[in-house]
Amino acid sequence: MPVAASAIYFLNLRGDVLVNRLYRDDVGGNMVDAFRMHIMQTKELGTCPVRHIGGCSFFYMRISNVYIVIVVSSNANVACAFKFVVEAVALFKSYFGGSFDEDAIRNNFVLIYELLDEIMDFGYPQNLSPEMLKLYITQEGVRSPFSSKPSDKPVPNATLQVTDSYEVLPFGMPDLKLGLNDKIGLEKESQLKSRPAKSGKTIELDDVTFHQCVNLTRFNSEKTVSFVPPDGEFELMKYRITEGVNLPFRVLPTIKELGRTRMEVNVKVKSVFGAKMFALGVVIKIPVPKQTAKTSFQVTSGRAKYQASIDCLVWKIRKFPGQTEPTLSAEVELISTMAEKKSWTRPPIQMEFQVPMFTASGLRVRFLKVWEKSGYNTVEWVRYITKAGSYEIRC
Amino acid sequence: MAPPAQSQRSPSPSQPSGKSELSDLKLQLRKFAGSRAPGVDDSKRELFKKVISYMTIGIDVSSLFGEMVMCSATSDIVLKKMCYLYVGNYAKVNPDLALLTINFLQRDCHDQDPMIRGLALRSLCSLRVANLVEYLVGPLGSGLKDSNSYVRMVAVIGVLKLYHISASTCIDADFPSMLKHLMLNDSDTQVVANCLSALQEIWSAEASRSEEAPREREALISKPVIYYLLNRIKEFSEWAQCLVLELITKYVPSDSSEIFDIMNLLEDRLQHANGAVVLATVKVFLQLTLSMTDVHQQVYERIKAPLLTLVSSGSPEQSYAVLSHLHLLVMRAPYVFSSDYKHFYCQYNEPSYVKRLKLEMLTAVANESNTYEIVTELCEYAANVDIPIARESIRAVGKIALQQYDVNAIVDRLLQFLEMDKDYVTADALVLVKDLLRKYPQWSHDCIAVVGNISSKNVQEPKAKAALIWMLGEYSQDMQDAPYILESLIENWDEEHSAEVRLHLLTAVMKCFFKRPPETQSALGAALAAGVADFHQDVHDRALFYHRILRYNVSVAERVVNPPKQAVSVFADTQSSEIKDRIFEEFNSLSVLYQKPSYMFIDKEHRGPPEFADELGNLSIGEAEDNVVPSQRVEENDKDLLLTTAEKEETRGSSNNGSAYNVPYDSAASVFASQTQIESAISNPTTAGHSQQASFGIDDLLGLGMPAVPDAPPSPPQLKLNAKAALDPSTFQQKWRQLPVALSQELSLSPQAIAALTAPQALLRHMQSHSIHCIASGGQSPNFKFFFFAQKYKESSNYLVECIINTSSAKAQVKIKADDQSTSQAFSTLFESALSKFGIP
Repeated sequence: MPVAASAIYFLNLRGDVLVNRLYRDDVGGNMVDAFRMHIMQTKELGTCPVRHIGGCSFFYMRISNVYIVIVVSSNANVACAFKFVVEAVALFKSYFGGSFDEDAIRNNFVLIYELLDEIMDFGYPQNLSPEMLKLYITQEGVRSPFSSKPSDKPVPNATLQVTDSYEVLPFGMPDLKLGLNDKIGLEKESQLKSRPAKSGKTIELDDVTFHQCVNLTRFNSEKTVSFVPPDGEFELMKYRITEGVNLPFRVLPTIKELGRTRMEVNVKVKSVFGAKMFALGVVIKIPVPKQTAKTSFQVTSGRAKYQASIDCLVWKIRKFPGQTEPTLSAEVELISTMAEKKSWTRPPIQMEFQVPMFTASGLRVRFLKVWEKSGYNTVEWVRYITKAGSYEIRC
Repeated sequence: MAPPAQSQRSPSPSQPSGKSELSDLKLQLRKFAGSRAPGVDDSKRELFKKVISYMTIGIDVSSLFGEMVMCSATSDIVLKKMCYLYVGNYAKVNPDLALLTINFLQRDCHDQDPMIRGLALRSLCSLRVANLVEYLVGPLGSGLKDSNSYVRMVAVIGVLKLYHISASTCIDADFPSMLKHLMLNDSDTQVVANCLSALQEIWSAEASRSEEAPREREALISKPVIYYLLNRIKEFSEWAQCLVLELITKYVPSDSSEIFDIMNLLEDRLQHANGAVVLATVKVFLQLTLSMTDVHQQVYERIKAPLLTLVSSGSPEQSYAVLSHLHLLVMRAPYVFSSDYKHFYCQYNEPSYVKRLKLEMLTAVANESNTYEIVTELCEYAANVDIPIARESIRAVGKIALQQYDVNAIVDRLLQFLEMDKDYVTADALVLVKDLLRKYPQWSHDCIAVVGNISSKNVQEPKAKAALIWMLGEYSQDMQDAPYILESLIENWDEEHSAEVRLHLLTAVMKCFFKRPPETQSALGAALAAGVADFHQDVHDRALFYHRILRYNVSVAERVVNPPKQAVSVFADTQSSEIKDRIFEEFNSLSVLYQKPSYMFIDKEHRGPPEFADELGNLSIGEAEDNVVPSQRVEENDKDLLLTTAEKEETRGSSNNGSAYNVPYDSAASVFASQTQIESAISNPTTAGHSQQASFGIDDLLGLGMPAVPDAPPSPPQLKLNAKAALDPSTFQQKWRQLPVALSQELSLSPQAIAALTAPQALLRHMQSHSIHCIASGGQSPNFKFFFFAQKYKESSNYLVECIINTSSAKAQVKIKADDQSTSQAFSTLFESALSKFGIP
């Protein structure tokens, strides 16, 4: 039984029901009270997203300031249930114009009821595809017209994640074919054309997943990605690479604790990509102890400040050219506390960035072919960008 | 139409005057009810929205029912939808009013617009009013034959809804066979998928009631149906694919080429963007190849990459769901994942539920080649801000040490933990050092040097304190201050709240006494005096026992308390392999997340009001522990002469705490039993749970190999059964009809029996070994049904048995019929004892 949800609740952070839908009678109406009492009002909230109370299982997720709770009484498929919630939220967002929070729900509850009726019947997921739903949904979202979720492609690498992201924005209903410089694809091509593979960098992908629209059979036989894109922006494929990832930055921190009230922080960030390229929106967050009282900085590039709310020194560099190495040196004064005997556990330094025209994985689009039956000209455009997913440096 | 936010918000401030507000609405609705003026629909929409907004924030607007129904005579679909919503919400509590809506809903079921037909049908079936079911049959019947797939899709689920309101109406109208026809012939895959869901649910629920249900269920996983679904799998939506894939896991292919065909066909599903589809495919692969060992290994290699990708994408919740499954696989085959250990490194911001699983996986995959790196990584986490995770990390290091042969470096790390000077780190490290010493006594020298430097005043947690005291006693000859530290601990006897610590203290001071008598004598006297005066029964008894045995003969006492010890070679696993296999069978479900098979938490009869769940849960845990202790002791006395009493106490202490890693191997079975009990106590937190608890306990006593079983059969007429009895099915049927029921009773089954009862065949073989033969069996978890027969030895007198086992409640309903009524009691006893031995190796 994939889901067979008995009920779905949307709660705000206080535990008030914003919208709910009871699909089955096999759980009592007081289930939301059970959730409030045993999960929200205890410390259990963060300990596990799946909990068993009074014979029912609760799956819950927090999205901005809303909890979405699914209650089941059977031995349900959890992965399916969470995926369903995620997809449903994406759908709601597309109707609400990108935001999903308490206000958006309050403004759109009739629409949500309509959607909940269509996407799930008697606890079984039905149709979540926006094209199909257009036929059945009468309400309009209050905020703005249809737009779709953004695409990003995380590539986790051991403890670091770098996001390579390609955007393909076609128009109409064309047939597309995409060739990459991945190893299997190139080998297959040289096999088919019976000529030796061109020398040059080939990338070995650990694993790939594709959007529904990709013809998987053709990928398996020809190793090219052919697809008919749906409307709007979408995530075509996702891949994972562990070997040979070029990280765009190297961070060299030195943090010295000078006695109990003073700290010296020196951070050097080296950009190791081509000198002609540059990174945008670089943010480096360097954690400092809670009892930080005063900070003073010297930076060779960008601006830095102390942000007490997250206990971090935040160093921002808007445009960061390749092959440079700006440094930050800071002095941190601490309030001396008698009680705090525990030494400070140093959380990792976090970094955010985007590097256009750079791919950490080395993956390139070799060709993008478009067959457009209606006959108007198409303009193909490939944009490379690497975004930081979760980029942490221990210090 | 874009309703401004205020229009819906505005009612809220005026809530106090809700009554007048409602009557106002009522009037307005009335005004519009008959009107057909242009623009009326827009005003109605606003009104309806207002009503629904009240409904959502919990104001009872059921008094408007009549007016709402009157206004529903409209062709505006937006209005209709809102009206359906309203009706669906209040029909159940106002069955009389619901009758009012039947009329217009039925009319709408014949509307020209397929969408209205579908919506009306859905609302009609969602009324959930039992006395209106007669009105559903007609519209459902035509809905299933509708030309529009949307209507059919809704009608199929409608049949399922009808089944839940009134099963007999649904079956009598012959809807299941119509669904079956649709499933195999409909062009729309969502209709097919809904048929499948509905049929699966209906036949599982019918299984215990009707004869044809098991057959129909089998038919769903027959070759033609499976192939039909497989061939269309790409047309299904991602959710329906999950459903179909789950069905395929139950299919038994005839030969290996069929298995490979299915796997080849489904291989590209592993690249699907929806993680649920990938997981479902993984399950198919794993289940199909269970009997083919090398292929099964290859499957692990194949599914590794997609699973690792899934773990690192999506929200933490999704990642957790996948990670739990990966965890299960890692635990089953750690070597397959040993080179991927870096994927299990924790990120700083990950939630603790993810970290905890990752730590366990890191522990499992550690081997000679990666241990150094894993332990280095784990040591990083020991300084984590999240203290429970820091502690888990330390324990993980200890567990790796216990798994490995090359513990050199790890011991150093552990000793470094002791020097970190954080209370919780010290506490956990002490417990680990103790376990390590029990396995590798050769390390005592290095460890003792460091342990000796720890002040007992800094150790507060009972477990850690007990560990320290154990080491003080065990190695008192190497630790200079041992007698004096023990002495100072004894001086504070009254302040020591944990009985476990006091027990250890008694034993340690005894051991110390045999090694260094002059220094310890006074401490021993004080300890025994305090122990005998102790209010805790166990402490009191042990002190008295030591006192008496010392008076009797000191050298005997030394042999009892401080014999030469063998190093513990393997520490036990807490979960039995049957339980693990059961969980594996239920891959891709909650069982994997809860790490227990579904019968332990899906128990509808025992669901109570959740308000009391916690208290009752605690109560029954207490009971469960009391029940287990005696059985465990017997077990230990029988088998476990090598361990000292101190260690036995440790065993008991630790098993009661459900701790996994310091349980000696011998008592694994009983530990498992206590675990299941505790877990089931938690999952059945009701008053009914109590009685069940008690019976569980007794079963365990019987089940755990105590000689108690044989005393059950009353001795006089020893009944002997013919091992080669034969009876043909028609005779059985005839006799079953003719004979009266001689005995009817309900038996409880032990958890082991439930665990072993994965398929009917298991029980058949077992009963056959007791000369009780099966003539027919069927069903699927949780309900199994068996017909047994047996024959008296050298006589043609027959016994017929109907046995219905429900694995979720662990009960068996037994009906016995016999040719010779006078011996039916004796037979029943035999049957019961045979059944009680089921599942016990």
